[in-house]
Amino acid sequence: MKFLRLGALVLVVLVIALSGCGQNQGTTTNASVAGKPAGKQFVIGMSQCNLGEPWRVEMNADIKAAADKHPEIKIIWKDAQNKTTTQQDQVKEFIDQGVNLIIISPKEARPLTKPVADAMAANIPVIVLDRKIEGDNYTCFIGGDNEKIGEEAGKFMVKLLGGKGKVVELKGLMTSPPAVDRHKGFMEGIKGSQIKVIFDADCHWLEPDAQKEMESALSRFPGAGDIDAVYGHNDPSAHGAYVATKNEGKGREKTIKFVGIDGLPREGVGYVKNGMLAATFQYPTCGAEAIDTALKILNGQKVPKNITLGTKIFTKDTVAKGGQAL
Amino acid sequence: MSESTKQSNQSSITLEPSQKRSHGVWDIIDRLRGVLAFVVVFILGIFLSPQTYTTGHSTFLNVATQKNILFEYAEIGILAAGMTLVIITAGIDLSVGSVLGFAATLFSLLLMGYGMSTPMAVLITLLSTAAMGAVSGMVISRFKIQPFVATLGMMLVARGAAKWISAGIKVQPGAQKWYAMQIGGPSIFDWMTTPLPGIGLQPVTLLFLLSILVLWLLLRFTKFGRYLYAIGGNEEAARLSGIRVGLIKTAAYTLCGITSGLAGICNASRMTLGDPEAGATYELDAIAAVVIGGTSLMGGKGGMFFTFLGTLIIAYISKVLSLRGVPEANRLMVRGALIVIAVLIQQGKRKKGA
Repeated sequence: MKFLRLGALVLVVLVIALSGCGQNQGTTTNASVAGKPAGKQFVIGMSQCNLGEPWRVEMNADIKAAADKHPEIKIIWKDAQNKTTTQQDQVKEFIDQGVNLIIISPKEARPLTKPVADAMAANIPVIVLDRKIEGDNYTCFIGGDNEKIGEEAGKFMVKLLGGKGKVVELKGLMTSPPAVDRHKGFMEGIKGSQIKVIFDADCHWLEPDAQKEMESALSRFPGAGDIDAVYGHNDPSAHGAYVATKNEGKGREKTIKFVGIDGLPREGVGYVKNGMLAATFQYPTCGAEAIDTALKILNGQKVPKNITLGTKIFTKDTVAKGGQAL
Repeated sequence: MSESTKQSNQSSITLEPSQKRSHGVWDIIDRLRGVLAFVVVFILGIFLSPQTYTTGHSTFLNVATQKNILFEYAEIGILAAGMTLVIITAGIDLSVGSVLGFAATLFSLLLMGYGMSTPMAVLITLLSTAAMGAVSGMVISRFKIQPFVATLGMMLVARGAAKWISAGIKVQPGAQKWYAMQIGGPSIFDWMTTPLPGIGLQPVTLLFLLSILVLWLLLRFTKFGRYLYAIGGNEEAARLSGIRVGLIKTAAYTLCGITSGLAGICNASRMTLGDPEAGATYELDAIAAVVIGGTSLMGGKGGMFFTFLGTLIIAYISKVLSLRGVPEANRLMVRGALIVIAVLIQQGKRKKGA
């Protein structure tokens, strides 16, 4: 019995070990560097704040696609599961493991400022994606401009409705900066036109919430011409609004125009192709640009401190040729 | 089984818990099971961790990695230390995670919101969490409410209190207009997370080691410690032999509240802000650390040193999984399996105890 129990314990630990091995073989980028031919090999640590959002999954896919073109790069992937302390630990692990460069898409600015500074102090360059950290102790920041995207959406709305109309705004989580910026930009974009926001609600970026809020909007404005368009802060919100309108059964989904943001291939762009959305605006994932910048840094070239990426619009006319840059 | 447990536990009222010693090689191995498991995990950690990219040595044996492990698990370790006292009395404290969140929020608010001095803020924070623990303890001992239920209540109250005092948002400089501190941050945060010169460990880590040491001394060498074992072994017998059971139990929950407060201060320092959501599900990690160490949820058995090992075992396994880049899904399954197996091993020990 005693042997059995000790044996069981060892077995458990072995199982853990194997589960680790199996996973590592599963990923295409094996982290081990031993036995590799000498030459310029670079190891990049990538800490993603969570992989629950499709946009972040797309970001990792873009990074991988860009990195696969460069055999000299190995990437170690880490998912912080939306926990700030986990992401802090991951940056420390990268430092201990002695990676050549760190790419981080931080969950929160303040708590990650010090770990990034520690990496910089250990002479490891850090590329920060999407969300900033405090101060300027990093190598390069790459992000989109939500306010500009919101403004483009507003201008597009003016053009779409001929300068006059009633709009429902389905906002993202209003305590998060992107939602605030997308709202601010949109208001800027429709300034001077006769477009009015007649109904708005915080949908927390979530499609089910957007669907519910849109149902409320539809019952408050039940007439045929009461609502001209819907502006969703992200594509799931715009899509949720479309579904709610269709479920209403009055056929209003054919007259109301739906506009979203993010432009992911399988989400927004697909909805535009299906004719559900009038347009979606790409929020760049920075994936490809991150690898470009990383290679420049690793090869000793200078890079700008802040890189702001533009946006693309996808409409029925432009979706086939991959959108139109703005 | 229960009969034999009772017997062995009754003897511990009059004897030192450690004096219940049997003989033979197998019994020694049995007693050292926690240590053996630790050694096995440590050795596997060396071989299973990937090498560093600069030197080619195992990352696991890096002094920096080892220090990071202690630092990262300091909060769980401190919670587990207090939890051990409660579990030895055959109780449980589900509120530690929420109390941690409350302490982190309150501490940050006192420092940054009200601009209070650090010693004052520490004092008020620890007194508040001690009071929370004391309330749990009194509800349990006076009104005979099950610890599970009483501390479940405190878990919700503490989380609510954290959100109430912070108005539901993270406490950081400039978060609200009336805050005394609008930019920068308190220097205590930096001090807590920066290695002390000469020692090379962060004060957060030292607080973890100190909590374990102090509570180990308390359990091992004081009457209070022996009473805790006696109550956990057989509460009725303890009462009959003149131990003030209610008072001792309340003291155990109060100490657990203080350690939770301490862990909260560590959390705030690490995050450099007060997050009212901090510490969610930490109580489960703390209980797991205690149980994996070998302290029995039935009470009366176990010790602080085992909790230390239990915390390190969990920390090592998590670190190896993280260094190898194993996805969260697999990690959860591995950790879940581990806890159940640890308890299975314990039960085996119990049957043989008579």
